[in-house]
Amino acid sequence: MRLHALGLSVLLAVSLHAEPYVLGQGYHVDDILNIGGYFSSDFTMQESQDTARLDDVAVMAYGDINPMFSYLVELEAVGFYSKNFTNGEESGDRKFHIERLFGDLWLSDAYNIRFGKQITPVGYWNKEPINVLRDSSSNPLYSKLLFPKFLTGIDINGFIPGMEATSYHLFGQKNRDLDQGYINIPNTHFFGLAVEKEISNDWAAGGSVGEYITAVGDQRTRYVQANVKYDDTTWQVMSEALVAKSTYAQNVDDYTLSGYAQGMYRYTPQHAFIARVEHFKDHHTQYEDNSGVLGYSYRPLYCVSLKGEYQWHSQHDENRALISFSVLF
Amino acid sequence: MKALMIAIGLSVTLMGSQYTLIVSKKSDLGTLSMQQVKEIFLQKRHTVGSQRVIPLNLLGQHESRGLFEFTVLGMDREHLNNYWVKKHYEGVSPPLTQGSFESIKVFVQTVEGSIGYVPSSMVDKTVKAVYEF
Repeated sequence: MRLHALGLSVLLAVSLHAEPYVLGQGYHVDDILNIGGYFSSDFTMQESQDTARLDDVAVMAYGDINPMFSYLVELEAVGFYSKNFTNGEESGDRKFHIERLFGDLWLSDAYNIRFGKQITPVGYWNKEPINVLRDSSSNPLYSKLLFPKFLTGIDINGFIPGMEATSYHLFGQKNRDLDQGYINIPNTHFFGLAVEKEISNDWAAGGSVGEYITAVGDQRTRYVQANVKYDDTTWQVMSEALVAKSTYAQNVDDYTLSGYAQGMYRYTPQHAFIARVEHFKDHHTQYEDNSGVLGYSYRPLYCVSLKGEYQWHSQHDENRALISFSVLF
Repeated sequence: MKALMIAIGLSVTLMGSQYTLIVSKKSDLGTLSMQQVKEIFLQKRHTVGSQRVIPLNLLGQHESRGLFEFTVLGMDREHLNNYWVKKHYEGVSPPLTQGSFESIKVFVQTVEGSIGYVPSSMVDKTVKAVYEF
């Protein structure tokens, strides 16, 4: 074993070939340390106001400490700078928050452990939340309002034995989030199970169930979610839907329903048209919105994204045009 | 792209396997399925059973790498590069690379869990074949 470790060190030192920096893949210092980051900016035009933002600025580092253990840390400032062109106001929050801070323990096919603050492993959208990786400038409401986007806890994950290309995540949190001011739904309790199946090169599907209790108001929500994706490199269609039952004070129960379907046609690897429809209804607050998005995406390189879109909402004051520029470096 | 993949797959079938994925002779790994190989080289799978695996790619544009990426991973180089951009955000790097088949073979012989492809003619008693393409 010692010989193997020595052999590995020597071979890593003298014979591996890696570009130290690749745009979109970060700076590879060594196996223990890779450094990267991203930023996104956007310009929004609404009936009531026009705003420009340098929205996300983030740096991250990750690597393999040894063959069994790896880590990732990411710091992000959201709303870094904003200017309202209608009233001339400028604002910004330069404080960096811990977006992710986790370790991975690789044990076997069926059993690995991720611990710390991490992205909740549910669906597609939530796992690729940053502007540069998305194909539209905006996020559907589905991705923001229905379950905590982050988990400060443990995720046991792996492939399900006997089922090819099928993986699971069994996750739990029984504490407050690492940064209460930096999560969409602050909570004290979040448990869930997600399953993902790669059906073929083109098709994938999955689903999840979960429960969380909000830190404020002790609202208990249970949800069932499903997702499906088709991608043949020219066409991509994906859809996610979720139904949640929440128990509020005085044991009042109510449902929230949400789902979106998004299609994308890449007429060259750099250029794509995007269309998305979404339905969102919260029976408790009586908020309902049906929306449609038409967008265009241009990626001179995959890690450099320039996108534009127009959104139509049944809540008409939400209609807007949006242009964004983002880079993963 | 699909037509190209089918053509490459057909030529591999007609010509027989040209390349073989090898591991150390001492490794516990047995024959792997194409899905397992794909998951290993896309860094979706870090272990086979409880054996940690270290995938090795050939550096550069050698035809074996293109063939491997098309027939096993199901992607061309551009889509694969895009894939690694997404994986960078997840904290996952592409497989290690080696400059030649000879160095892949030496690496595999020396480092437990490493797995790489060489021409089938280079497979001998010092390594174990786990997949052919």
